[in-house]
Amino acid sequence: MQALSVKGLCLDFGGLRALWDVSFDIHIGERVAIIGPNGAGKTTLFNVLNGQLKATAGRVSLFGQDITRLTTYERVHLGMSRSFQLTTLFLNLTVLDNTLLAFQGILPSRFQLLKPLSSYRSLYHKARELLGSMALWEKRNEPVTTISYGEQRKLEIALALASRPKLLLLDEPNCGLTASENTEMIAQLRKLGTEITVILVAHDMDLVFGFAEKIIVFHYGKIISQGTCDEIRRDERVKEVYMRSQETSG
Amino acid sequence: MNPETTSWDRPPGRLRYVAWVPVALFFLFVPLFLPVYLQGILTKALIFAVFATSLNLLAGYTGLFSLGHAAFFGLAAYTSSILVVHYGLKSFWLVAPAGVFMAVLFACMFGFIALRVSGTNFFLVTLALGELLYSVAIKWKSMTGGTNGLVNTSAPNLGLSWLPVDPPFFYYLVLGVSAMSLLCLYFVTRSPLGVALQGIRESEPRMRALGYNTWLFKYLAFIIASAFAGVAGVLFAYHSRVLVPMHLGVTTSTLVMLMVIIGSDRVFLGPAVGAMVIILLEHPSSLYTPERWPLILGSIFVIAVMFLRGGISSFLEKTWEKAFYASAKR
Amino acid sequence: MESLSINVLNGIAFGMILFLIASGLSVIYGFMGVLNLAHGVFYILGAYFGLIVRRHEGSFVLAALAGGLAVGLLGLVLERVFLSLLHKRINEQVLLTLGFVYIFSNIVRWVWGPYAKLIDPPAFASGTIPIGSASYPLYRLVIILMGLAVAAGLWLLNNKTRAGSILRAGMDDREMTVGLGVNYGLVATVVFVLGAFVGGFAGFIGLPIVAVHPGIVFDILLLSLIVIIVGGVGRIEGVLLGSMIIGLIDSLGRAYFPEFAYFTMYIAMIIILLVKPTGLLGRAL
Repeated sequence: MQALSVKGLCLDFGGLRALWDVSFDIHIGERVAIIGPNGAGKTTLFNVLNGQLKATAGRVSLFGQDITRLTTYERVHLGMSRSFQLTTLFLNLTVLDNTLLAFQGILPSRFQLLKPLSSYRSLYHKARELLGSMALWEKRNEPVTTISYGEQRKLEIALALASRPKLLLLDEPNCGLTASENTEMIAQLRKLGTEITVILVAHDMDLVFGFAEKIIVFHYGKIISQGTCDEIRRDERVKEVYMRSQETSG
Repeated sequence: MNPETTSWDRPPGRLRYVAWVPVALFFLFVPLFLPVYLQGILTKALIFAVFATSLNLLAGYTGLFSLGHAAFFGLAAYTSSILVVHYGLKSFWLVAPAGVFMAVLFACMFGFIALRVSGTNFFLVTLALGELLYSVAIKWKSMTGGTNGLVNTSAPNLGLSWLPVDPPFFYYLVLGVSAMSLLCLYFVTRSPLGVALQGIRESEPRMRALGYNTWLFKYLAFIIASAFAGVAGVLFAYHSRVLVPMHLGVTTSTLVMLMVIIGSDRVFLGPAVGAMVIILLEHPSSLYTPERWPLILGSIFVIAVMFLRGGISSFLEKTWEKAFYASAKR
Repeated sequence: MESLSINVLNGIAFGMILFLIASGLSVIYGFMGVLNLAHGVFYILGAYFGLIVRRHEGSFVLAALAGGLAVGLLGLVLERVFLSLLHKRINEQVLLTLGFVYIFSNIVRWVWGPYAKLIDPPAFASGTIPIGSASYPLYRLVIILMGLAVAAGLWLLNNKTRAGSILRAGMDDREMTVGLGVNYGLVATVVFVLGAFVGGFAGFIGLPIVAVHPGIVFDILLLSLIVIIVGGVGRIEGVLLGSMIIGLIDSLGRAYFPEFAYFTMYIAMIIILLVKPTGLLGRAL
């Protein structure tokens, strides 16, 4: 059984085809990076995997179960979790509240309407553990708008981890981080256990080659190559795609 | 900034609880010394405090701004009055829940329709749905008396013969019900569901990516808000004694929205304060410039939206906090 | 009972009036995303201002334009002084327009009193013309033509001018248009003024058919809203379609089901909301 199995995924956006017959498999516990030039369709792929966008054709299976027709929140309950490229946090709520909401997402108590959230001690301790591991505990009572960008990115990942996902989708986790924050982030990601399968979208080659076991290369909504780090490093087509995109953007 | 979030580690703020003592004393005892019509004004203020707070659960907390909330208020009011006047049901214990039930029933239907859209469209659809009920109230003359209104001068019959029926009695009934309603709503806002609603307001996609069925939460918020608007409506029916279709329509819906914004949609008690302020201001205005009241109200509202980001309450609370924490730091 | 064709004609005429009423709102809502709740006020102000001009100048057409212009000017002031300060905060802008309703409808009541104003059609467009065996008021036909003219004008503006493409792009992606050097504040002001103008203009030319007084501000708004919900936001074709449908449903409803006539438009609205919430010609779900 694969952690994630994608077959023939296509997505049309009002006349334009954004994803072309995308197929790949991810093993349980694997670390995969999806790379490709800007606009190649990586975030769009995530949006389809996540359920935010409906595929025009194709199938997505999570741990053997067909999830193609499921809503985003149903997928979360099946073990999928995602972080966003553009920080998507609850800006006017405190760091702690953001985290508590993330923990509650898969708990039946989220529908509870009379007991105060503050009375859920176990959630509080879980939040403490998670935020502590990311050095965010001191900032727990600050509204998210007041913490630094780097801290927001960390929180972004923390929220995705709260539901103890089996499959974690990270969209450009180190986007906009300083060099030291970046190193810290890579270390954090390395600490994740093998019970979690991780797929990340990234531009930073240090992150990609330092973290991923398998790389999938995207271009214009199609997979042009997939393989191990060494295989991709040697792949001529990949070099060509990147060189060409360097020229056009350079 | 939403100061209504959970945090165990904030200083216990004992001062906050102490502040309630004079408020409680005021509401419990002062009315006994006031002339009846002033008691009436306080009663109306309490009713609208509940009504406005119920709207804020939808608006400030969930981000769903409804311009049709009076539909549920008026529906409950009309239902209870109709039961008393046309069907001879006297008991408050039958009539009041029936009123609230009607409000909730319609909320189940209207919520389903209104939640087909979001954002600014929500203003549109809720306004239209509210006006639909308004039209029904005008046309269905046999039930509602149309624009002539529905008159019900009986006092709420609690079936307790030992209770006096003098004026302050109704005030205390309203005080009790309002206090309980506000407390209930407060607990809802602090509950997991309440915080989830705030999450939805902040970022619905993120909530969905965390496992929340956001449509369901919005629907629940709609129903809870309508239920409490219904509670206020039932009390209003007894207070006002005459109900007209206007009580269901856009004029009342916009009035209560004004109360929410003027008082602050970011603080739990904001709408209640807004309701008090407006109802208390309405009184001298009706004495001196009754014709210009909407102009005055509109101007206050515009000022509130433009300058008092978050309304009067938030402004006061910030000033209050600055004053207190400044002195506490010593 | 009148013939079917008369009822249909009435429906179209009413639909055109609805179109004229709703287009002002749709322009602002479609291009700026701001729901101008004061739309009804703009409508009646156009009528009142136009009446002043008519009393002094006598020309119907001039009065209509003057009415529109006066309201456009008011819209300019309101947008520049108030709305633009709440840049990007759409909910607050909508609420602000709510405040304007209270303020301006009360001012209208103060200055002109609560009485309804209705006028006769202008000399060149009054009287009736024979249609089949009945005589049909000429002004209603004029209204139909007027509505089509406004629709055509707005459509051309939207689809054939550079300004129009900027507006459409801005609707989809504000950041990008700003990045392309478009002064979004200016665009917002122009849109608001245009919407106000159309709203005021419609108020005056509708006067021979729709009596105007401060109490109708929410009714006008409501009619516009229903038209927009049914037809879809953002496109003039949508508003036109929506108003035609509502006009016809209302007219035929009155003829064949008089008891429920009033509610037919609500029923249409609810059906659309359940089946296609973005409106018939609105964006796909």
